[in-house]
Amino acid sequence: MNLSKTVTGVVAGLALASSAFANPYEEYAGQTLVVNFPAHPHYDAVMKVLPAFTEETGIKVEVDQLQYLKMREKQTLELTKNRGDYDLIAYVVFSKADYVYAGQLENLARFYMNPKLADPAYDAEDLIDGYVTNIGVAGGDKGYLDGPTGSLFGVPFGSETSILGYRKDIFEKHGLEVPTTYDEMLDIACKIPELEPGMGGLSSRAASGHHASHAFLLHLAPLGGRIFDDEWNVTVNNEAGVKAAEALKTIVDCGPEGSRSFGFAEAGAAFLQGDTAMFLDSTVFAGSINDPEKSNVVGKVGWAMHPEGVRRGSQTGGFGIGIPTNAQNKDAAFLLMQWLTSKKADKLIALEGGNPSRYSTHADEEVNAKFPHMAVFGEALQHADPDWRPIIPVWGKINADLGTTLSQVLTEDLDIQEALDGVAERTAAVMDEAGYNTWK
Amino acid sequence: MSRRLTPYLFMAPAVLVLGVALLYPIGYMIYASFLDWNPSQRIGQAEFVGLRNYTWLWSDGAFRESLAVTLKFAFFVVSLEMIIGVGLALLLDRNIRGMTALRTIFILPMMIAPIVVGLVWRYMYHPTVGIFNKTLNALGLESVPWLSDSFWALTSIIIADIWQWTPFIFILSLAALQSLPRSALEAARIDGASGWDQIWHIKLPLMMPVLIVTCLLRLIDAFKVLEVVLVMTNGGPGLSTEIMALRISRTASEFRELGVAAAMSNYLLIFLMVLTVIMFTYTKLSEARTARLRQAAEEG
Repeated sequence: MNLSKTVTGVVAGLALASSAFANPYEEYAGQTLVVNFPAHPHYDAVMKVLPAFTEETGIKVEVDQLQYLKMREKQTLELTKNRGDYDLIAYVVFSKADYVYAGQLENLARFYMNPKLADPAYDAEDLIDGYVTNIGVAGGDKGYLDGPTGSLFGVPFGSETSILGYRKDIFEKHGLEVPTTYDEMLDIACKIPELEPGMGGLSSRAASGHHASHAFLLHLAPLGGRIFDDEWNVTVNNEAGVKAAEALKTIVDCGPEGSRSFGFAEAGAAFLQGDTAMFLDSTVFAGSINDPEKSNVVGKVGWAMHPEGVRRGSQTGGFGIGIPTNAQNKDAAFLLMQWLTSKKADKLIALEGGNPSRYSTHADEEVNAKFPHMAVFGEALQHADPDWRPIIPVWGKINADLGTTLSQVLTEDLDIQEALDGVAERTAAVMDEAGYNTWK
Repeated sequence: MSRRLTPYLFMAPAVLVLGVALLYPIGYMIYASFLDWNPSQRIGQAEFVGLRNYTWLWSDGAFRESLAVTLKFAFFVVSLEMIIGVGLALLLDRNIRGMTALRTIFILPMMIAPIVVGLVWRYMYHPTVGIFNKTLNALGLESVPWLSDSFWALTSIIIADIWQWTPFIFILSLAALQSLPRSALEAARIDGASGWDQIWHIKLPLMMPVLIVTCLLRLIDAFKVLEVVLVMTNGGPGLSTEIMALRISRTASEFRELGVAAAMSNYLLIFLMVLTVIMFTYTKLSEARTARLRQAAEEG
């Protein structure tokens, strides 16, 4: 009896002791991780939360934060080295194709399979599906989506979707309803300059190249189009493509003065300055709206879902984090990645002004009390379209051609059908050269 | 024998270092231009494609367009900067009070980083808050689409470049003018030559070697201009301001075609080398002519 009590006591004591001291980070405490992040509002928020990781785990983190194009250039060189300097990198979504194709990002399966590393409370189901597919998965459908052959190479971190911002005061003044469809949005966009002389309807990016292409793609998915069909045939010049380009042209024609040369920053600035009544683009912009130092429209902006065309489809983009195959401290890097994208850190980062990647954070009361727009964003994310833009290695070239051609449509009145036919022809040649027709 | 070799032995390390430092990158670029090279690959993994990159470029409409834009840009900026810079030098080549201060003010634009110049001018060209449209509107005139119209976008960049680089030509021209033999100008004045005659028949011919080198330096720079265009228009609208350096940069970083970008750079290099040879040959001829003129002036 006594012996049994003693044994039970010892076992219980050992169990208690082991659970009291169980620390999955212990083995890695004292290590220093070098990470590469972009200069971006989300990562600025991350920097405020990062010390809590070191405090909790004992793992130190050195951050090399660079302007995002510089970051990409540096990564291009870093990832080709035998021994890389970075243990964890943030990558912009279109780099996924390049890095995965070149075997430069770790497949994360082996980390999630490792019971010493994978936190059972991580709750991956809570991560926003559209973001995970768009930013993290490769090797599935079309090569860049999920599917039976897909694998996870990164986790969304600093991801964005598209959202409609509108001036509540202007809409109330003129008895306008918040648009829910494309027809309504285009109608209001062109009514505003008549109702409020000097004010544009909707500010959109339209500058030659990436900006014009991005703006067009924002409309293409909801209006039912795609750049390619499932067999890689170019469909950008079909009826939906023409409608998307017409929508962009209408928006720019009814937009604030000079909007034909607007990039993302200028389009946002026009809305912040009060030069336009609506703004349709990335959620990353929302943080500036109620900052009196940057905005003339504090307290005057409401948010709504990206309007519906023939379907709902808001953009997915921004950044993810992954572990380079040439990293020196992969296990510890995984622990950092897991911590940063956990429920707890996602909320902490959101409270500092970052972009959450989890449904639970968008629904969180504390987060919504501080950022009332977050609930609408969460609703919009249910319709986040991971296939609104192809993520293939030759996209850079196609994107530039599409963007410069659309710029000609906007500034030189090039016929839309003719312009898109030209893009389709050149895109087909690029795809052919890249081997996408090999199996046809 | 060893005495004769000694100076060369002393020079050898410097020549070697200089040769490697100069020639290695050029050799690397030439080699890269024969490859189908993606930046995710190491150069050794890239496929050798011979002259394919060079021949393919001529079938690329965007490359041809960029070449045309570059030639147009270089022609206008260098011509206008030469005319204004030399004109100002001729106008101000006299003892004016405060000339030193004026010269300092003149060279200020040259000292500003091109990226800052681009940002400042971009802001000045802003459709609503920019100084130009604000002034035009205040005068009751319509706004100009400075950066959102093909014609005006290129014109706007040309204006910004002229603002930044005319002082360079002014300073060199003024230095050339002030080193001219005063006796020749004095003699011409005594012989009754008018101001224009002195400019056309004495000053400009004597300044010619300096002007040619100045022009050449500006041409080389004009063909390589990047930051101002990148910041002001990023090549747009359409391809209307996509100069060659920007196309090269995009090809390398956005399209990730390092071999094609290297081939484009080599075309630019060859073009500038041919231009340099032509201009140096002309300089030599011009120098000989100037020497004859100086001699005649001194004898006369």
